[in-house]
Amino acid sequence: MISKISYDEWRFWHRSKLAASILIIGTVLTLLSAIVNSVKMQQTAHEREHLQHAAESRFLEQPDRHPHRMVHYGHYVFRTPSPLSIIEPGVDAFTGTSIFLEGHRQNSAMFAEQQQASGMTRFSSLTPSFLLQVIVPLFLILIGYASVTREKEAGTLNIMITQGVSIWHLLTGKYLAVLASGVIMLLPLIIAAAWASLTGEALISTGTFVVGYLLYIFIWSGIVVVVSALSKKSSASFAALLALWVLFSILVPRIGSSSAAALAPSAGKLEADYAVLAELRKLGDGHNAQDPAFVQLKNNLLAQYKVDKVEDLPINFRGAVAQYSEAKLSKVLNEFSERRMQQELAQAKISRQFGWLSPTAAIRAFSMMIAGTSLETHHRFLREAEKLRYDFVQSLNKVHQERLSYDLDINRYKEGVVARVDSANWQVLSEFTFTPDSATTRVTRSLPYILQLLFWSLVIAVLLRVAVRRIS
Amino acid sequence: MQKEVLIADSLSVSFNHQTVLDEVSFSVAKGEVFALLGGNGAGKSTTLKTFLGTVSPHSGIAKVMGLNVTSEIDKIRAKVAYLPESVTLYGHLTGVENIQYFLALAQVNCTDADIEQALKRVALQQNAWHKKMSFYSKGMRQKTAIALALLRNAPVLFLDEPTSGLDPNAIDEFNQLIANLATEGTTVFMVTHDVYGACHIAHRIGLLDQGKIVGMFERGGQTNIDTEAVHAAFSARNRP
Amino acid sequence: MSIFSNFSREAKFLFKQKHLWAFYAVVVCLSAFAVYSGISEANHQQATIERLLEKEAIDRENVIAKQKDYGSAAYYTFHLTYSEPSAMAFAAMGQRDIYPWKHRIRMLALEGQIYETDADNPELSFLGRFDFAFLVSILLPLFVILLLHDLRASERSAGRYDLLVVTAKNQHSLWLSRAVILSLSLAAALLIPFVVGAIVSQAPFADVVLMVLVVLAHLLFWMVISLVFVTSKKAIKQSSAQIASVLLSVWLLVTVLVPVVSDLVINKMVTGPSGGEIMLTQREAVNDAWDLPAEDTWTEFLKTHPQWQGKTTMDSPFFEWKWYYAFQQVGDQKASALATAYRDAIIKKDQLAGQFALLSPPMLTQRILSAIATTDTQAALVYQQQIRQFHKSLREFYYPLMFNKAEFSLETLKAQPQYSTYERAHKKHMENN
Repeated sequence: MISKISYDEWRFWHRSKLAASILIIGTVLTLLSAIVNSVKMQQTAHEREHLQHAAESRFLEQPDRHPHRMVHYGHYVFRTPSPLSIIEPGVDAFTGTSIFLEGHRQNSAMFAEQQQASGMTRFSSLTPSFLLQVIVPLFLILIGYASVTREKEAGTLNIMITQGVSIWHLLTGKYLAVLASGVIMLLPLIIAAAWASLTGEALISTGTFVVGYLLYIFIWSGIVVVVSALSKKSSASFAALLALWVLFSILVPRIGSSSAAALAPSAGKLEADYAVLAELRKLGDGHNAQDPAFVQLKNNLLAQYKVDKVEDLPINFRGAVAQYSEAKLSKVLNEFSERRMQQELAQAKISRQFGWLSPTAAIRAFSMMIAGTSLETHHRFLREAEKLRYDFVQSLNKVHQERLSYDLDINRYKEGVVARVDSANWQVLSEFTFTPDSATTRVTRSLPYILQLLFWSLVIAVLLRVAVRRIS
Repeated sequence: MQKEVLIADSLSVSFNHQTVLDEVSFSVAKGEVFALLGGNGAGKSTTLKTFLGTVSPHSGIAKVMGLNVTSEIDKIRAKVAYLPESVTLYGHLTGVENIQYFLALAQVNCTDADIEQALKRVALQQNAWHKKMSFYSKGMRQKTAIALALLRNAPVLFLDEPTSGLDPNAIDEFNQLIANLATEGTTVFMVTHDVYGACHIAHRIGLLDQGKIVGMFERGGQTNIDTEAVHAAFSARNRP
Repeated sequence: MSIFSNFSREAKFLFKQKHLWAFYAVVVCLSAFAVYSGISEANHQQATIERLLEKEAIDRENVIAKQKDYGSAAYYTFHLTYSEPSAMAFAAMGQRDIYPWKHRIRMLALEGQIYETDADNPELSFLGRFDFAFLVSILLPLFVILLLHDLRASERSAGRYDLLVVTAKNQHSLWLSRAVILSLSLAAALLIPFVVGAIVSQAPFADVVLMVLVVLAHLLFWMVISLVFVTSKKAIKQSSAQIASVLLSVWLLVTVLVPVVSDLVINKMVTGPSGGEIMLTQREAVNDAWDLPAEDTWTEFLKTHPQWQGKTTMDSPFFEWKWYYAFQQVGDQKASALATAYRDAIIKKDQLAGQFALLSPPMLTQRILSAIATTDTQAALVYQQQIRQFHKSLREFYYPLMFNKAEFSLETLKAQPQYSTYERAHKKHMENN
């Protein structure tokens, strides 16, 4: 019975042409965007890997020189995109993709794609996620708004009821019909996800990804059928669905973002920088070993090595100071950058709560989490970059302390003095590869948003029951 | 001075290559009540709509008071009043407000007293006048629309199934009203599938079948048209 | 007279419908929220700048007190630059969440510093802000479609259509006056919170009028499109939902498809150097200079600063501040071709986007609104240019002191360029022009 109703609905769409063309347009669009995006993603991945290697070899190729020069020469890291970003680029276009790492400073990520973009893609973009999250629901509405009201208007609904057709069966049939068209438009995503699995993405994450989007299609198909069932006329059903679409897909996510910015304003990096400077005034300048801030260090070292003058230390005191001050400084820097990241995360969390108010807000958060293109992943990139920075800077400082004599060092600007170390020491730089979060981490992170989607499914189920009762 | 108020001359209308009206010709004189009688899909409503200008003729001529429907429809509309089959005025307005609104649309100036008088004439119970239309019964809506048509003071009145859904008392009142209007010189054109109603009220009946006029019945002096004859002709054409 | 009576009749008629009131109430709320969040964001930015200025002053005092020569003073003094939100920024935040509006620089090679971005939370930027410009450019068309799509079809489905057109003296003026009343009320619902916001923000009158005109023009465009289609012969037999579908596809075409395709095309048409290249070039130039003979640096430096010819002799062959800043300058010079190309690519893309926007009224509206609010890409580039100018003035301040071996004095140092005075002068300059 149910399948008969679904089949009838499909036959109607087939004959009405409008629905058929929407279905084709929807599927072709998602397919197209998946292809365009995966080509682009592979290019970027390739390009960034190349840049990463180039940066590393450049560092290693530097000639013999003073180790502190290398601290300032610095290094670059590039973030390679995650495989699922072909479907959901998430925050990637808005965060910088490379960071310059150097001593004494934590630089922010530079060259966000959007800064170099035409500015035309701030609302819409040719990404499968935008199409699936925003456009496909609209298409489902256009296809299914009259699925039940049409029967009411033609009077066939009453005929069916009097002939003993169960309303449950009727609505389920209509629901399945709408759902099927949604799933067809989802197919390119399923294929893309499968493709991502083949190129190294874990099955658990691609699986969850597809399930999440299926839930989303479930929800919207449900909204369409419920509203159609509760409306008296097709025109009313259409207007109501359109209003819901504007509300859920366009308004709520943005209101969430604006509310987060208004409720939990974040200070921004610059402000933290000044706070860091204030802290640092207490720490002393690592370039200046005479700074009174290092008296304690000096006394400790003299005691440890049982000597009276820094000149007599078996290690280079300037290197020791550099190491000491970098450690102190990084601690302060990290404190502030952690605080900043927490602030950003707090903002993001406020905006993500709007998933309880809109399934589209829920799927957006879910999608970013699973694809590994969320704020959390960007933060991890920043942390890993910082770790790399700290490691190579401190290793160079260690070289400074152990491989360069203090005597040469303090006389480095004098005629005939060569205060350098061998370039073989530059090998301290470790390779940087940014890998996506593990599949289980991403799935765990996405759980709250799966919960939001499940909540919406429940709402739909309840509303379907209400609709059934209303009709009969 | 033209005596024929309505003229249909070889009027043909087709939708999607299907002929709905096929060379229909008739005319209605001033003060005459003319009923176009026919079964479902005979083309009655199409004829009516052609005169109102909401359907364009394929060939032939339709004229109202000497004005051609294809070229002078705006002038025609200023001179006619129309009573649709199922009257749905605006549910969010009261009966009086609806009448005021439609009169304003037609740019007809009427005082409140005029409106009250018209409502009394159609016998709409007074306590309903200022109630929202959405609470009206079908008969009450019909009466409001008739009042509106009266207030238009139009020389030509088009009626689409005017008595369907009215109770017998109301039908009598309605018929009396139409007869009075006709005596005052108003030309009335109605389409209906109600043989008895048509015979009771019309001066002349045109029987329409599959887009063609297949019979014409005329009242003889004071005696009504012979119901039996019309009925026989009608049933002959509309046998299942 | 007749037009006025038409309008007043339809206004009286339409506003007896409760659901319309509800609709406009929602629009007023949305507009009020958009304006409120815009004002709160603008205030937040303004307050941030003021806080930063205070912190900078404290920091400056501390740094200057410790200095003993101009070289290290220039090295250790950071300068805050900023671009304040205009009084209209609350209505259109534009690109301010993507391009930086606050930046700290010092007299080192500028190309190594200028691309640092203290951007907003990327997740919020990704979700997009709900500002007035968004409401007007993206949602306004949908509101118009919702209001006007069943102008005629609803009368038809209610069975009133024939009676209406037969009764109405002029049916076109009937639809037109209904559409005008509905659209004007929509404009009022959108604009009242905006005007209140503009008064609160003390926005300049001309800008407010200009924005109102843009909003009305965009509204007019969608009203005409909807009205023409709704009253067309083609739409006469279509249901209200079918009509709305057609209008929606027009919306999809100009709001989604045109921008997305033009973005693809623009990216194919314009290719600039990648930002990374500039950074690398500049870094290599600056770092290599340490190992190169000082002469090489001086030759390059004197090409652009011939006035210091004869003052380049160094006391130490290994380090002197003027040499240090000279190779910083040379680093910028070497990267300058790339930097210009990078900037030109952004300008070119923006120009092309402006041309493509002619095909998409919503995009055009958005661009014009952010142009009025000076929050567009161009404004961001102007700010960047201001940073460059300011950086130049720093060099012009310090070079004579270093090359002429001026006696160090804190008094002189305190007279070093300030961005705040510089910025004020710039603003005045803009106003006078």
